[in-house]
Amino acid sequence: MYVRAEPTTDLNKNTEWFTYPGVWSSYILIVFFSWLIVLSLLGTSPGTAWTIVHLSHFFVTYHFFHWKKGTPFADDQGIYNGLTWWEQIDNGRQLTRNRKFLTVVPLVLYLIASHTTDYRNPVLFLNTLAVVVLVVAKFPNMHKVRIFGINADH
Amino acid sequence: MITIPYLTALTTYFSYGLLFAFGQFRDFFRKIFDWWQASNLQGYAPICLGLEDFYIRRLYLRIQDCFGRPIASAPDAWFDVVERYSNDYNKTLKRTEKKSRCLNLGSYNYLGFAAADEYCTPRVIDSLNRFSASTCSTRVDGGTTTLHKELEECVANFVGKPSAVVFGMGYVTNSAILPVVIGKGGLIISDSLNHNSIVNGARGSGATIRVFQHNTPSHLEKVLREQIAEGQPRTHRPWKKIIVVVEGIYSMEGELCKLPEIVAICKKYKAYVYLDEAHSIGAVGKTGRGVCELLGVDTADVDIMMGTFTKSFGSCGGYIAGSNELIQYLKYTCPAHLYATSISPPAAQQIISSIKVILGEDGSSRGAQKLARIRENSNFLRSELQKMGFEVLGDNDSPVMPIMLYNPAKIPAFSRECLKQNVAVVTVAFPATPLLLARARICISASHTKEDLLKALEVISQVGDLVGIKYFPAEPKKQLQPGKETIKLE
Repeated sequence: MYVRAEPTTDLNKNTEWFTYPGVWSSYILIVFFSWLIVLSLLGTSPGTAWTIVHLSHFFVTYHFFHWKKGTPFADDQGIYNGLTWWEQIDNGRQLTRNRKFLTVVPLVLYLIASHTTDYRNPVLFLNTLAVVVLVVAKFPNMHKVRIFGINADH
Repeated sequence: MITIPYLTALTTYFSYGLLFAFGQFRDFFRKIFDWWQASNLQGYAPICLGLEDFYIRRLYLRIQDCFGRPIASAPDAWFDVVERYSNDYNKTLKRTEKKSRCLNLGSYNYLGFAAADEYCTPRVIDSLNRFSASTCSTRVDGGTTTLHKELEECVANFVGKPSAVVFGMGYVTNSAILPVVIGKGGLIISDSLNHNSIVNGARGSGATIRVFQHNTPSHLEKVLREQIAEGQPRTHRPWKKIIVVVEGIYSMEGELCKLPEIVAICKKYKAYVYLDEAHSIGAVGKTGRGVCELLGVDTADVDIMMGTFTKSFGSCGGYIAGSNELIQYLKYTCPAHLYATSISPPAAQQIISSIKVILGEDGSSRGAQKLARIRENSNFLRSELQKMGFEVLGDNDSPVMPIMLYNPAKIPAFSRECLKQNVAVVTVAFPATPLLLARARICISASHTKEDLLKALEVISQVGDLVGIKYFPAEPKKQLQPGKETIKLE
């Protein structure tokens, strides 16, 4: 019922909240409840609802984890202004538990979405594109890489 | 160690996610809306990137009325809070002429010197007449009066070090001293919950900064060993100097530092110890000499002792106490000494008089009474709040008492409900504390009487029930049956 919250050594207030207990469960629960809401509001089949959830998850996480740079407050005087949230977490160390978890979630969503839509073609292509872009963006070799200068600093 | 109910952690993340999502939507529509309107600042760069003040605009401003409340009297145990209203959902607040008399649970008034004192105030007014309100000069030009000399001797004597230097502002003491005592090629190891002034000073110094887990001497040893073995970042040469920075009482947790173990580890690995006693000087220890006296650490083992006068002495400013050579060096290199205006003479006199009261040199025992009272008050309030089921942090004897709130909606709820019942509390949220761990911080004063504390308990208990922050089960109350001598447990 109770969990202990140990103080972290992460000085970056934008990312240290991800090291506290309960984050993984909240993430999974939010995704699941958004599926329920899409299913109840739009009344589509479960497969289409999963596809909608998967694609909107792709847009939201790509925008906030891999596109937006910097931190939402000015206290740290802009030292992280060139780094996206994905590049900031865990102080830039690669292949930590949090990063592995965040890489697995879009993959699991892809499997669920493609299974429940019976691997039909137009939807399968969109889902595959989404998961490929997300997983490639999370590779350790892509740390601080800006392809063709897209989203580089001014 | 903070224990959160798991469900509360989940709901807190969900609430922050919702607030973040709403903020992003509003920003998105604002951007579209502003695109239609022409701007008369074509060609100018924006003052701040749209992202940097997202937290201020979309989260902080919504509950702005809980922070920065203006007060209209001295911050004694009871004070006047000015009422404010807003016509545009808290984006701007306007003051009214009305004031409400509230119980002060937020000011750092540990020994009760914040309001008029029978020994200190006449002497302060005297020095105001004699020296006037400001020295109008830096220490090296014309700003060193006899009061400043007396103050530095007094402080060095009180703290237990050979000499001391005093600055006009406490924040500046940390951020201007750290760049002077260490530079590039040095290593600063600081506790993860150190105050912003230390973080700023460390960043400004150019030294490499490493952080160890809060109050965990074993992790400090691990970090020290790893860093000494690796050396400087690219060249792997040995470090020029290693300074370990810790605080006496951590202002957001109310915890005491584990000073004996940390000093032992630093001696073993030949690192310097910098102790920031902003909240503990004057408030803990048998004669008020701070955390070294309380924990039995010899002051000769702590290399640099820093403190402020804002909390227990009712004044302003900060000091650094150390060996004669160190203070001599600081006096000719520290920019806060060379270029900043010296501490105001009435403020200096207030510190001298309050130190005399604490040590009993004014001829009465008021100092010892104040110290005993603040200890009793803190222990009483802490144990009562814990019995009611609140999650209260901090060690025994510490006058700082944070009550955990967690959910972002409970912050304004707690603050506003308490103000309606005339109790003023300070609530702290992200980014001063971690995202999940928002809290209401209570600071006990020696000028709080037992009635004040009982009223505070009653109000906090009522508001706590309303807001839902009694995360632990309350202890069963014992009830005496009238006419019988037995005790019945409910």
